[in-house]
Amino acid sequence: VPISSRQAFPLPSLPRKQPTVLVVCGPAQNGAIGLVCARHLRIFDYEPTIFYPKRSPDPLYRDFTTQCEKMDIPFLSYLPTEVQLINDAYNAVVDAVLGAEAEAGEGREPCATILATLKHVRIPIVSLDVPSGWDVEAGSSGGISPDVLVSLSAPKRCARRFLGRQHFVAGRFLPYDVQKKFELNPPEYPGTECVVAL
Amino acid sequence: QEEAQAIDQELFTEYKFSVDQLMELAGLSCATAIAKAYPPSSFTTSQPTVLVVCGPGNNGGDGLVCARHLKMFGYEPTVYYPKRPSKPLFEGLTTQCQKMDIPFLPEFPAEAAFIDELYGLVVDAIFGFSFKGAVREPFGSILSTLERITAPIASIDIPSGWDVEKGKADGLQPDMLISLTAPKKAAMHFTGRYHFLGGRFVPAALQQKYALNLPPYPDTDCVLQLT
Repeated sequence: VPISSRQAFPLPSLPRKQPTVLVVCGPAQNGAIGLVCARHLRIFDYEPTIFYPKRSPDPLYRDFTTQCEKMDIPFLSYLPTEVQLINDAYNAVVDAVLGAEAEAGEGREPCATILATLKHVRIPIVSLDVPSGWDVEAGSSGGISPDVLVSLSAPKRCARRFLGRQHFVAGRFLPYDVQKKFELNPPEYPGTECVVAL
Repeated sequence: QEEAQAIDQELFTEYKFSVDQLMELAGLSCATAIAKAYPPSSFTTSQPTVLVVCGPGNNGGDGLVCARHLKMFGYEPTVYYPKRPSKPLFEGLTTQCQKMDIPFLPEFPAEAAFIDELYGLVVDAIFGFSFKGAVREPFGSILSTLERITAPIASIDIPSGWDVEKGKADGLQPDMLISLTAPKKAAMHFTGRYHFLGGRFVPAALQQKYALNLPPYPDTDCVLQLT
């Protein structure tokens, strides 16, 4: 799954001179996927910066953090509330704050403040699996509006409300019996690609 | 060989990569390279059947991951895995293959001709860069048989049985080599048609430290064709 997240980044012509990307990681699995995504972005010669305020104690996720640190990916100590600073410094934001497992996560800090800030950025947002703060079934009213959505494994119900430019699905590695059992009917993946645009 | 081992050590101890992570990326690279060089439409057998021969160590693990991704890419892999380490990593990889209906042969085909008839490609995932010393059974006989097949062989990292630095003129002559992380010295003796680089996970700092001088990978691809 983490492998596919980074491939959903098309290589658009970036408006800023440096290919900077802000990756905002939440405290649970969605955030960990964001860490892996940031590492692959670095390998692809982007310049990711991570904001990871609430770090998971899970050893696997701690190792993901080490890998990023050792690859000289900077970790911000705070997220500017002044939205223009974010708009000026980065080409895009990866929203890896909350995933499908989040319940009332968006009501708690630091997620609530982060999401309030992200709602107002003008640069594109790429959300991993579920736009953070959206209800996983019903979608959002007044939440963030991502430009790109990368559904992991299969699109969630709330994806129907997605109005952004591109929707990718990253679920090529689901075994066939799992696909059948949950009646996923995934689209054909081109060649050896692990994401497909819907 | 020591440099390759040193790089691995740093990836595990300094960067805290897990063996699982790197093995998954390595195996995916192998399957991707194979798909580029031998697309299913190019097979002369009626189905794109592939025999994946897995050895007793990490090279075998790479083979198991590769087999699983080949299945995803539309091939029909069959695995031969005679010596299985009783570690959760390898047991997990084996289960993943079995649950995806990838058959595991109970014995190795007795003759080269049988292999040629049934499979359009053989993946050699027997020994990797840590290989030293004499080849133990059943791998000695397996390699003798593989030396006589006409179907193309794709070797993962090092053609099995070769000296890691000097090669082996009378040993396996694979059609494809997928070098992982960086080509090993033995790759200089490789005379097959396709040489790919895989394992796109080495941080820039390590590449510099060991003066790997790797050419850039295209785009977001996980493999690079060297020849």
